[in-house]
Amino acid sequence: MKVFVIGLDSAPPELLFNEFIDKLPNIRRLLQRSVYGPMKSCVPAITIPAWMVMATGKTPGELGLYGFRHRKQNSYTDIWIAHSLKVKEKAIWDYIAAKDKKSVLVGVPPSYPPKKINGNLISCFITPDSSLNYTYPSELKEEVERLVGEYIFDVVFRKEDRDGVLEEVWDMTKKRFEVIRYLMQEKEWDYFEFVEIGLDRIHHAFWKYFDPKHHLYEKGRYSNVILDYYRLLDKEIGETLKLLDEDTAIAIVSDHGVKRMKGAFAINQWLIQEGFMRIKNKEILNSGRVVRFEELDVDWSNTIAWAWGGYYSRVFLNVKGREKNGIVKQSSYDSVREEVKEAIKSIRGENGEKWDNRVFYPEKIYPVTNGDKPDLMVYFDDLYWRAAGTLGHPSNYLKENDTGPDDAVHSEYGVFALALPESDKSSAAEFSIYDFTPLMLELLGFKAEANQLRKRG
Amino acid sequence: MEEKERKYTTVSIPIQLYEKIKNRIEGTGFTSVSDYVTYVLREVLASLEEEEKEEVFSEEEEEKVKERLRALGYLD
Repeated sequence: MKVFVIGLDSAPPELLFNEFIDKLPNIRRLLQRSVYGPMKSCVPAITIPAWMVMATGKTPGELGLYGFRHRKQNSYTDIWIAHSLKVKEKAIWDYIAAKDKKSVLVGVPPSYPPKKINGNLISCFITPDSSLNYTYPSELKEEVERLVGEYIFDVVFRKEDRDGVLEEVWDMTKKRFEVIRYLMQEKEWDYFEFVEIGLDRIHHAFWKYFDPKHHLYEKGRYSNVILDYYRLLDKEIGETLKLLDEDTAIAIVSDHGVKRMKGAFAINQWLIQEGFMRIKNKEILNSGRVVRFEELDVDWSNTIAWAWGGYYSRVFLNVKGREKNGIVKQSSYDSVREEVKEAIKSIRGENGEKWDNRVFYPEKIYPVTNGDKPDLMVYFDDLYWRAAGTLGHPSNYLKENDTGPDDAVHSEYGVFALALPESDKSSAAEFSIYDFTPLMLELLGFKAEANQLRKRG
Repeated sequence: MEEKERKYTTVSIPIQLYEKIKNRIEGTGFTSVSDYVTYVLREVLASLEEEEKEEVFSEEEEEKVKERLRALGYLD
């Protein structure tokens, strides 16, 4: 059996399976013969590491990937950016290569720089630009460019020129599907997986025009953009599915869901107010502009914790013997961490409303914690509030994002649907992201390997 | 007389493997089992080194990627 995987970054079950489904004839037809339902993402529910969790069946702790950036050797400021060579665990395509089964991968994050696989690969949106080599084998790049001209990896959506964003995303997605259909026909494959990042970008850039519950809701010319994009995907998917033979299983999957952003919480400002962090250049906070963490003159000998923002927050303790100017003794690490955790959990909304804050300790949620792990991982109000690492804001509660317009945040549940070749009826089920790799391996005839990976999540 | 610099050394491989390689290279461009083994090991090592390489972005590329990730909301 062959397996064809349609990866839709950030597709939420609420829209794909319910609200929009009657307007998506091709996806609907596929669901009518699928087992499908919500799929719980990993912690953190973020593009990197989620797609590699799906590819390897391993936790972010085992992968040593906790997000896009990581600290370099416990540095306060130096970071490294996640890329493909940081993934050391075996992925689906590595397992199946052992029996000379071939794969085609398009845009599965992180896949830059392009790694050697038994098959063909086009890298993902981490690719700095298209002048570099972004394919395996490298000659594939020429084929791609002969077909669609300049290949588009991503569209930066946090800018006010919404029409520009729209045009670019449409262009990117059409090109990607053209390339996908070419590869399906021209290359040999047993496993094919692509990830379309455009959906995530459209959600983030246009959610406030679509969701009446959004605090900045604006009805108007952009209100149908999200639905229109789903229609584009449906049309492209329809064209694509026509090319598959009858012995191919088809999956639709996403790395996490999406929901309206309620705001951003300025975590480092809060840490200063609560006495967990001290800075020497306090005047900078009143400069009337957004201040980056790197601009602070942190008084490390009086600082217990600092944090990074993003869709979730990573909090680091300033540990003696680990950080350069660490002060938290190893012997009091547990109690200090517990204190920070309780303080974070008790954070409430601007008007005193209760928040559903969740704080994770990496070594409690993963069997192993490789690499540069944070001390605490924080979801503010069930991810409805993202975290802003920047400072200088008049309030800790930012109505808009601190670094450009962004209307949406991640939700924990993505989607999974699987249509087996012979199936003609649908059924509902719930999945975990850790089900994905074992399921794929089993379909591809690697039952023993699949069984070894089960029971995570 | 100074000893000439040694460029080669000997490693042991199982005889069965040796025979297998000998058969495999028959009629190919490889003139000896040693040639073939050297070739294969170089290939394997090169690909391992490629995989283990940590710095994949030049400074300029890394800045570009960071800027983009910041603009996408991943690095706030």
